[in-house]
Amino acid sequence: MNDASPRDDAASLEAVSVSKSFGGVRALSEASLRAFPGEVHALVGENGAGKSTLIKLLGGRLRADSGVIRLRGAAVALKTPDAAHRLGCWTVFQELTLLPAMSVAENLLLRREPRGAFGLTSQRRLIAAAEALFARFGIREIDPGALVEDLPLADRQVIEIVRALSHDPDILLLDEPTSALMERETAWLFGEVRRLRDAGRTIVFTSHRWHEIAAIADRITVFRGGRDVGSFTTLDEDEAVTLMTGQRVETLYPPRPTAPASAPALTVEGLAGGRLVSASFSLRRGEILGIGGLAGHGHRELFLMLFGAMARKAGRILREGREIRPRSPRQAIQAGIALVPEDRKTEGLLLPLSVGDNLTLAVLGRESRFGVLRRRRLRSLAAAMVARLKVRMPAITSPVAALSGGNQQKILLGRWLLADCAVLLFYDVTRGVDVATKHEIYELMTALAGAGRAILYYSSDAEELAHLAHRVLVLREGQIAAELPAESLTAERIVAAAMREPAAA
Amino acid sequence: MTPPRRAPLSQALARHLGLALVATLLVIAVIVYAALYLVTQGRLPGGFELTASVNNTMPLALAALARAIVALTRGLDLSIGGIIDLSNALAALYLGTNAASMIVASALILLAGAGLGLINGALVAYGRLQPILVTLATLAIFQGLAIRVLPQPGGAVPESYTALLVNTGAPYALIYVLALMLLWTVLRRSQAGIALLAIGNDEAAAAANGIDPVATKLVAYTLSGLIAAGAGLFLAASATAGDATTGNGYTLTSIVAVVLGGVSLFGGRGSGIGAILGAFVTTMIVNILFFAHIDPLYQSFYEGAFLVIAVVLAEGIGRLVRRRRVQT
Amino acid sequence: MSVIRRRDLICTGLALAAAPTLLPRRARAARKFKIALSNSYIGNKWRIEMENLFKSALLMEPFASEIEGSWFNSGNDVSKQSQQFSNLIAERVDAIVLNAASPTGLNGIIKQATDRGILVVSFDNVVTAPSALKVNTDQFAFGRMGAEFVAKKIGGKGNVIMVTGVAGTHVDLDRNKGAESVWAEHPDIKVVSRYTGMWDSATAERNTAAALPSLPPIDGIWCQGGTDGVLKAFIAAGRKLPPTAGEAENGFRKFLSGYMGHQVDGISIGQPPFLSVISLELARRVLKGDYPKKDITIPFPYVTSETVKTGETVFPDLPDSFFADFTDAGPHATVKICVDAALDGKACAGRLAVDLPAA
Repeated sequence: MNDASPRDDAASLEAVSVSKSFGGVRALSEASLRAFPGEVHALVGENGAGKSTLIKLLGGRLRADSGVIRLRGAAVALKTPDAAHRLGCWTVFQELTLLPAMSVAENLLLRREPRGAFGLTSQRRLIAAAEALFARFGIREIDPGALVEDLPLADRQVIEIVRALSHDPDILLLDEPTSALMERETAWLFGEVRRLRDAGRTIVFTSHRWHEIAAIADRITVFRGGRDVGSFTTLDEDEAVTLMTGQRVETLYPPRPTAPASAPALTVEGLAGGRLVSASFSLRRGEILGIGGLAGHGHRELFLMLFGAMARKAGRILREGREIRPRSPRQAIQAGIALVPEDRKTEGLLLPLSVGDNLTLAVLGRESRFGVLRRRRLRSLAAAMVARLKVRMPAITSPVAALSGGNQQKILLGRWLLADCAVLLFYDVTRGVDVATKHEIYELMTALAGAGRAILYYSSDAEELAHLAHRVLVLREGQIAAELPAESLTAERIVAAAMREPAAA
Repeated sequence: MTPPRRAPLSQALARHLGLALVATLLVIAVIVYAALYLVTQGRLPGGFELTASVNNTMPLALAALARAIVALTRGLDLSIGGIIDLSNALAALYLGTNAASMIVASALILLAGAGLGLINGALVAYGRLQPILVTLATLAIFQGLAIRVLPQPGGAVPESYTALLVNTGAPYALIYVLALMLLWTVLRRSQAGIALLAIGNDEAAAAANGIDPVATKLVAYTLSGLIAAGAGLFLAASATAGDATTGNGYTLTSIVAVVLGGVSLFGGRGSGIGAILGAFVTTMIVNILFFAHIDPLYQSFYEGAFLVIAVVLAEGIGRLVRRRRVQT
Repeated sequence: MSVIRRRDLICTGLALAAAPTLLPRRARAARKFKIALSNSYIGNKWRIEMENLFKSALLMEPFASEIEGSWFNSGNDVSKQSQQFSNLIAERVDAIVLNAASPTGLNGIIKQATDRGILVVSFDNVVTAPSALKVNTDQFAFGRMGAEFVAKKIGGKGNVIMVTGVAGTHVDLDRNKGAESVWAEHPDIKVVSRYTGMWDSATAERNTAAALPSLPPIDGIWCQGGTDGVLKAFIAAGRKLPPTAGEAENGFRKFLSGYMGHQVDGISIGQPPFLSVISLELARRVLKGDYPKKDITIPFPYVTSETVKTGETVFPDLPDSFFADFTDAGPHATVKICVDAALDGKACAGRLAVDLPAA
């Protein structure tokens, strides 16, 4: 751990004792940040530590209640994103700001559309200009004429980044830019970030992936509870976690439970649909079966089809030897299969409803008599589950929207546990979740497997798979390209198998 | 890794899916109408039928465009009917008989419509009020004003004005239809048009990109008022007199036209051209039901059923195409 | 409707297409006249009765053998009615009987119809187009008649309320003007409240209930429509029922004949639903050439507490909202038709005689 030595040269970006409250809740309290030219500056901290709020203040999306923001030494009032843009400060916010029903080109060139006669633009001009921009940043995969809503999350993130980069920013703020990206795109982003840094610009970014921070950050500022708790030029993960949580986390990954050699809980034969060409495997009770590989190779389809949320083109699904044909999530749940998806807000939780209501949603039918809900029993079920999952929340009656991402994830998980689902599909559940909550989710997952539930687990983080899964199936081009047993499981092997490189011995 | 880039045609189709659907719908409707007409009348519809249909649809086409512009910002302008009423009433009283007075009065009426739209816009944008509530209130106010201006149906519109706007001799009004489509195209390609779509897509995201939602809404409602006033002028021209209540019906029928035209009432998707075509589809539905000799008592049932089917089909096709595009 | 009618239409259409259409009208006397009813709103009892009477007339002689009729509703949507109108022109009907959504909104298309030699007869909500024939009652007289009755009953002195109709219509304006002209002759009559009943019993009842608490004792009621609703509100408020002038709702007439212990001294004047039949007759006779092309004003059918007669002008078994003036009564009746015609559009026994005013 190395405290950052104060630098002599002037900071390019400075926040001094800024505070911001939302309806009585303090998101930032007297937080400070100093970033310098030619520096990649990482902000780390748990969800809710105030990183995103600070970035929104710096990007002109929010105004601070108190405190000073200085750019290149001069105090500035960043009333609007425009004001920040005029000062050369561009931001890629965590919630993307793309317009879904408009084309990629329109989004990229919003408010600086190439104009022809009478000041009018045209799709042709827009696409040509967008292609030029993409070429400049080496992007070939994204069609500038496509509608943003038709693109996968990763592409949208790339567009958002390209848009910021294209303004040649003096200061670039990136709020969790990599959470939606795969390795290849992350590498591209880091290349661009380094290029900017070498040109003397300032880049501030947040991430929950320590290896990324270690790879690129020149300076790390740790946030906890709405304020900065230290700035460092070197810091290792354990130290960071200690600083972020205020307590020591011994090991991030809990030990793997031993997999009992029981009969398969779920068997899949030749399942196909969408990008998934064919997949066959079986999942035993008490097993954590990891699914690895790059995004867009059929993982999503595999999980959606098992959950009945997407039509199968071919193949059979057997639950404890009996064929099932889930045509809707409802049917899947009845067959004991539940999905915990990545994007909690759109897939599963009812944000304005309370924690308790969300937890008991799937058992309302079971826990009612003659169509009347047994309220008291539901309340006690929810309370017990909240305690078991260590959900951090204001009250069981507070809306789920008030909870942090990781805790929302737990609520969704809790719902399926209440519903007694024997097969749990975990789809990239730890994306964008802070370290402490990740740790809790890992513990929960291994505990569930230990208790005999069958878990199918996809993660975009190969490290996680390597530590938690009993074995990993790597999907490539819609097919299972490799099966890696626990003994030879490393993140490198998973990535290698996904990239079709011969696995190093 | 590199997905195949789609051909420009299929790309354009994807972008203008709603438009393509309503155009198809219109073609089908016209064919069905012509076939029914042929069967019942023993001849094909001709100049009179075309002219009458176009002239009759003009006010609705304008009302639909006015509504579409506000709908794209995720707003619902209920006061369109009231503005049409007022403009219709004013036209019946003040157009005068010579060319100069007609031009001046028309321009002033259009301006008045724009002004009323601006009031809506200001209440929505500055007051941060629900558009549906604001315009429900202003609808009542505008209707009241219209009745005050023209307490009972009457007034007169000079024949020359009627001949200019809705000539009964030939479908010259198609020129106005084309002009309206051009107006939309220009708007869509201008900064203001892109801003409209952007705030309808996601107001917060648009604001984060530096688009001013307040200014954009003011523009949208003002334009809507202006175009609605134009609808009132066409209505007065085709009726040859004024009635301060005839605009009311357009509040709802324009919603139908807009939805048929593939414009989402939830903002950000659709095109003014689609809304205009949607207006023509509604006219064709009236024609089809007429010549199918549906019992009048069941007519509204069939109309409703047709609408539901059309919207469900459009939605279904949209989803299908979308899914296919995402998967390939 | 259905197959037979459509086949008829096809045949006529083909025949028309084949025959030289320039033949003078008389030469085609053998064929039936095509007369269509273009109605706007169909959502109240009055309109339904009006249309039923039209349909029943078509089934009765002389109409059954001379007329091929059809009917269309457009709702209160001027553009839709206008579009239907142009379709009727395209269908080359001989005459259109019209209850318009707007007195002026159809003037343009009406002119196109009459320019093409189609006879347009407008009734009830009559149009201002000069080329259309008009069949109506004198709404100013309606207003006066009721007001004069009330004025007489209360001795030219006292508090009255006015329950008006749908604002912005000719009918409402003229009826109000008629009443006001009577009040002006009686300085001791005070109009203590004036509100709309929208020609609807439920609305009239609601608005009356809202107004009553703040009102002094009421000596007379003048009401354009929804009269039974007004009286029900009076009963609910425990008020005594004063002399009342109102419309021809069956419910009001039940009060006139003594209804659930309440006897009202009143006059019931109706805008008769059979205006559609008179208009049809006018169209038929003009087309045949034995009646001049001229507007007709018919007197209002009315009854008072003294003249109301069960089974003829009031029907205890029918709903309150039924318009009991579907037929005229008395020696000078213009139209006499049975109750089944008004209820179901069925034919009545015998020929249907319509007594148009002397040409």
